[in-house]
Amino acid sequence: MLKNVLIANRGEIACRIIRTLRRLGIASTAVYHFADRGAPHVAAADHAIELTAEVPTAAYLDVAQLLAAAQAAGADAIHPGYGFLAENAAFAAAVEAAGLVFIGPQPEVIRLMGDKIISREFAVTQGVPVAPSCKQEGALEDFVAGATAIGFPLLIKAAAGGGGKGMSIVRSAEELPAKAATASSEALRYFADGRVYAERYVERPRHIEVQVFGDGQGHVVHLFERECSVQRRFQKIIEESPAPNLPAALRDRICASAVQLAAAAKYRNAGTVEFILAPDGEFYFLEMNTRLQVEHPVTECVTGLDLVELQVRVAGGEAFTLQQADITQTGHAFECRICAEQPEHDFRPATGRVMTLREPVGEGLRFDGGLREGLAVTAAFDSMLAKLIAYGENRAESAARMREALNELVLLGVDHNVDYLSRIFAHPVFLAGELHTGFVVEHAPALTAAPLHPDERAAVLIAAILGTDEFRRLAYDCPEPHASIGQWRN
Amino acid sequence: MPSTLTLDGDTSTLDIIGRRPQLQVRVGDATYTVEELPASDDGASTLLINGQPYTVWRTREGDRIHLKLDERTFSVGYQEAVVAAAQGGNAGNEVRAEMPGMVVDVMASAQAEVAAGDPLLVIESMKMQITIAAPRAGVIETLHVERNSSFQKGALLVSLHALAE
Repeated sequence: MLKNVLIANRGEIACRIIRTLRRLGIASTAVYHFADRGAPHVAAADHAIELTAEVPTAAYLDVAQLLAAAQAAGADAIHPGYGFLAENAAFAAAVEAAGLVFIGPQPEVIRLMGDKIISREFAVTQGVPVAPSCKQEGALEDFVAGATAIGFPLLIKAAAGGGGKGMSIVRSAEELPAKAATASSEALRYFADGRVYAERYVERPRHIEVQVFGDGQGHVVHLFERECSVQRRFQKIIEESPAPNLPAALRDRICASAVQLAAAAKYRNAGTVEFILAPDGEFYFLEMNTRLQVEHPVTECVTGLDLVELQVRVAGGEAFTLQQADITQTGHAFECRICAEQPEHDFRPATGRVMTLREPVGEGLRFDGGLREGLAVTAAFDSMLAKLIAYGENRAESAARMREALNELVLLGVDHNVDYLSRIFAHPVFLAGELHTGFVVEHAPALTAAPLHPDERAAVLIAAILGTDEFRRLAYDCPEPHASIGQWRN
Repeated sequence: MPSTLTLDGDTSTLDIIGRRPQLQVRVGDATYTVEELPASDDGASTLLINGQPYTVWRTREGDRIHLKLDERTFSVGYQEAVVAAAQGGNAGNEVRAEMPGMVVDVMASAQAEVAAGDPLLVIESMKMQITIAAPRAGVIETLHVERNSSFQKGALLVSLHALAE
């Protein structure tokens, strides 16, 4: 068993990892940039070490400082969380070279799966279906000719990318050259690698992914699927397990493909194989994420397993003996990503300060946050603030619990998407489980906040003005004549 | 004295028009009876507006009030009230004191053009500071007071005349 784990991350995922470490009796070491000195993950950990960097995110990407912090704290392992260095093969290798345990897959597997082109080729050799595609070998002009041969619509992506950066849909041969050039320049800017590739774009696709776990020797199990089709700007905002309206036989085939791919890579620790599911039931390998996913809690709810515990135990040298037959999928879980953003302005990220926070509490609810009142929400980090997870016996019960929890959640001081998420959970098409990755765009009008009735608007304004001392004095303290003319200033 | 609030880009004025037996607030053209129930332990309060109950969470941050009213979250802009003390009765050309007091600040200067609502003076009366705003657009003809001068109820503070054609 590991003794002390350094978490090379921040926010909700650092807090979530620390919770499991504490339950297992393992010491936790947090790292933080000065800007995060008051953050909950720093307070939650047993030890905390400050990293220095001019830009806050750079601190969490500084391999040398992270390794030095691990040595200083006496940590024997590093958990990378997600984002930052979680899928950086060089970091994983450096951790191991320093004599520490990297809680994740082997560096060479991260490298294999980290390149979209190489990982697709690997999937093809394993008989895992991939969408017809074309990759850029040399000049952009040759790529354009090859891509045209696949037919339209096409999806162009950065070869080295992720998170929707450098991605665009091309519907005709005329717009291909310009969009290919744009994608390439975006790819170069974000990933320092200008190579792009194109693949058939599936209309109304679903995003289905499979949680897998391996022992590094070829024994791999799956922890069933997650549906992550509700996305905005190519990024997930609602995930669930099981996927709704997915025939059991198709689910089994998708999960079996994921296991086959991971087993062939002798995958170690937790990973996720992502697929695109077409309306006709065909599915294609998208990519493999070689880390713990943001949305892992829905899998934990339906399987009853603690993924971080599994990660830590296997990384600590315990034999991974869990068999596929031991893993069941029971009930239904949803996760909502609570983000600082303005849904009414194309989900533009928002900044502010958490002034009031009341986390919803109730049966089947879980709130994974790294928030506290007074915390500044800046543009320095990702806009995701917390995750709300609801579990129930079935999809309807889980959705009802989520809606109620979203309505109970109070988060004041920074614009967020909680009301928007609540409207999704009231939408009949969503509740029917008829999902595809264009859901948010297709139903944009219905998901817009209803205009306020004049009486409702008046209620909002009256409730607001009662929050000012000036008005309260006028309303309650002042004798009649004085109150009508001014406000107290002392 | 109306207060000015902004919600979703639209501005509204709120005014207290009665306090007893219950608070009555005018919002735009409509009047609402308002009753506040004691806040619960977790910080939520209940507001009865025309008898309709609302659960309210609220926090103020400078000129913004963030609130959750039942199931919806809002952010309302609040401008500290600028008082047009001389509204009505004098065709807007004379700004008179409604109560005795003292001038603590003078923003206006003689012969300057002003727009309706522009602050002219800050006065202090009965421990309150009140901003006196121009009741209409025009030109300041005479400033009858200066900083630290005191005045009686009804005293002429500022005279305006209309803008030249």
